[in-house]
Amino acid sequence: MRRYFHLYRVFATQFMKSLVQSKVDFIIGLLGFFLSQMFGIVFLSLVFKQIPSLNGWTFEQLVFIYGFAQIPRGIDHFLTDNIWMLAMRYVIRGEFDRFLLRPINPFFQLICDKFQADAVGELIVGFALVVFSVVNHTVTVTPVNVLLFMISVFAGALIYTSIKLFFASLAFWIKDSIAILQLAYETADFAKYPLSIYPKGIRFILTYLIPFAFVAFFPASYFLTGENVIMTIGAEVLIAGIVWIIAYAVFRKGLTVYESAGN
Amino acid sequence: MIHVENMSKEFISPKKYPGFKGALKGLFSNEKVRKLAVDNISFAIAKGEMVGYIGSNGAGKSTSIKMMTGILTPTSGKCTVNGIVPYENRQLNAANIGVVFGQRTQLWWDLPLSETFSILKEVYNVSDEDFKNRMEFLQEVLGFDSFIHSTVRTLSLGQRMRADLAAALLHNPKVLYLDEPTIGLDLVVKDSMRQAIKEINAEYQTTVILTTHDLSDIEQLCERIIIIDEGRVIYDGTIANIKELYGKRRSVTVDVMDIQALEAIDFHEVFNLSGELLAVAKEQSSISFDFDKNVLNISHIISKVMEGTAVRDIKIQDTQITDIVKEIYKHGM
Repeated sequence: MRRYFHLYRVFATQFMKSLVQSKVDFIIGLLGFFLSQMFGIVFLSLVFKQIPSLNGWTFEQLVFIYGFAQIPRGIDHFLTDNIWMLAMRYVIRGEFDRFLLRPINPFFQLICDKFQADAVGELIVGFALVVFSVVNHTVTVTPVNVLLFMISVFAGALIYTSIKLFFASLAFWIKDSIAILQLAYETADFAKYPLSIYPKGIRFILTYLIPFAFVAFFPASYFLTGENVIMTIGAEVLIAGIVWIIAYAVFRKGLTVYESAGN
Repeated sequence: MIHVENMSKEFISPKKYPGFKGALKGLFSNEKVRKLAVDNISFAIAKGEMVGYIGSNGAGKSTSIKMMTGILTPTSGKCTVNGIVPYENRQLNAANIGVVFGQRTQLWWDLPLSETFSILKEVYNVSDEDFKNRMEFLQEVLGFDSFIHSTVRTLSLGQRMRADLAAALLHNPKVLYLDEPTIGLDLVVKDSMRQAIKEINAEYQTTVILTTHDLSDIEQLCERIIIIDEGRVIYDGTIANIKELYGKRRSVTVDVMDIQALEAIDFHEVFNLSGELLAVAKEQSSISFDFDKNVLNISHIISKVMEGTAVRDIKIQDTQITDIVKEIYKHGM
């Protein structure tokens, strides 16, 4: 375990070095994600110019949910973005070989191969909106809340990672799982808004099939209302544990059916 | 060191039909195509041996190497490397082996070579002292000093292959797998690659398995070869032995002063041999013989020629391993 921490630092240092070398790329990427998140907020405020509240939620509350959702998403995006490569090229081109030839965990190598600095754009937007919500008293800061916030963000990021890993690992069987991964990942966009505004079918999917509702809406609703910590953040942590175990098991199983590519 | 027992690998893929209609048909049919890439192979390789693993394209070389390195799991049979089953204990096995795939680099594309080496040092847990010694040694045989600070993606093929080999040897593996390590390299780089492999083997008793289409690699490095064809081992033995078995032909070309003087001699009659055992071809100023060395001695031919005319030059050719292997690929054993 200590060795892995050490190795992680080695990889992270390398990444920082290459980041410094390509400042322009970094700034453009960061700006891109920052802007696309800001447009989301602008859109939300335009909608609220027409209606006073949405299904009982005020504009301020929606801004908090929206911002809160960005943080686990940004963390996952920053740390494990390379999982996408598993879905789109490592398996089909046989490039996954090299992860199986080194004496360290293949999943660890997969995520260490690249960090995604652009995600900082999402994190900035997320934190800015959360701070905004604290300042306008939409949510209150207490030591317990801060602790729960950290737990929730971590569990949320783990749910993101697991869902990505699960669908990307299907590539071991179907060679290229980018389309299905993209579809699954984009359902996360629904989770930026209150679950209660959606019809039954979508609610069912987001709760039980691709549990993105637990990443943002359920924990955010706890911070907004202070009710039901077990059913919101407790459930989030439990779901995070379950989906991670499933996704990692599928990944491990995938390694045994991996067929490489001819050369 | 390496034990392979009745190892097979079968790939199963959905059956494909040609054209757009075929694609639709394929969508709804459940037919599978089975391809037996490796068919029940067995062999054992001892510590410190250098073995050439050869076969035509698609014979199953890479597939069997991938099973020995742990990338692929055999469909049936088993193999152990240094007592470890590679596809069951990948990480444990990985610490003992070094792998170079000529077609695909394993270096980090965006990092300078020097950084790559320091990451590998951490990955394989190499001590500072060993790292320093080995880098010195590898630098000496492979000579990558001039490009050690270049980013991997900017290296030429020759530079990258030397770097790949160095990266595979940094942790002093017990077994080194080389899958077409000299493909596309110029003669100088080829030579330094071979030299490095030879020295590593001599120095550390590293077991080496080498697949290549360049048989001069094999002749310079290996005493033993395993030939694989359509997934089956068809030959496993020394190079000398295969030459003995298949290399019965010799050819000799004699440059003569006066070719006309030989006109009258019928060599088949002189040696009492049929055209199958002895082929004679005359050119403007030379005459060449291709014959079975078991029935005819070179000295007889030459003395016979010298009876007729003065000789300017003699060229004797042994059977090349290339010719033998070409024969085997074409006609089987």
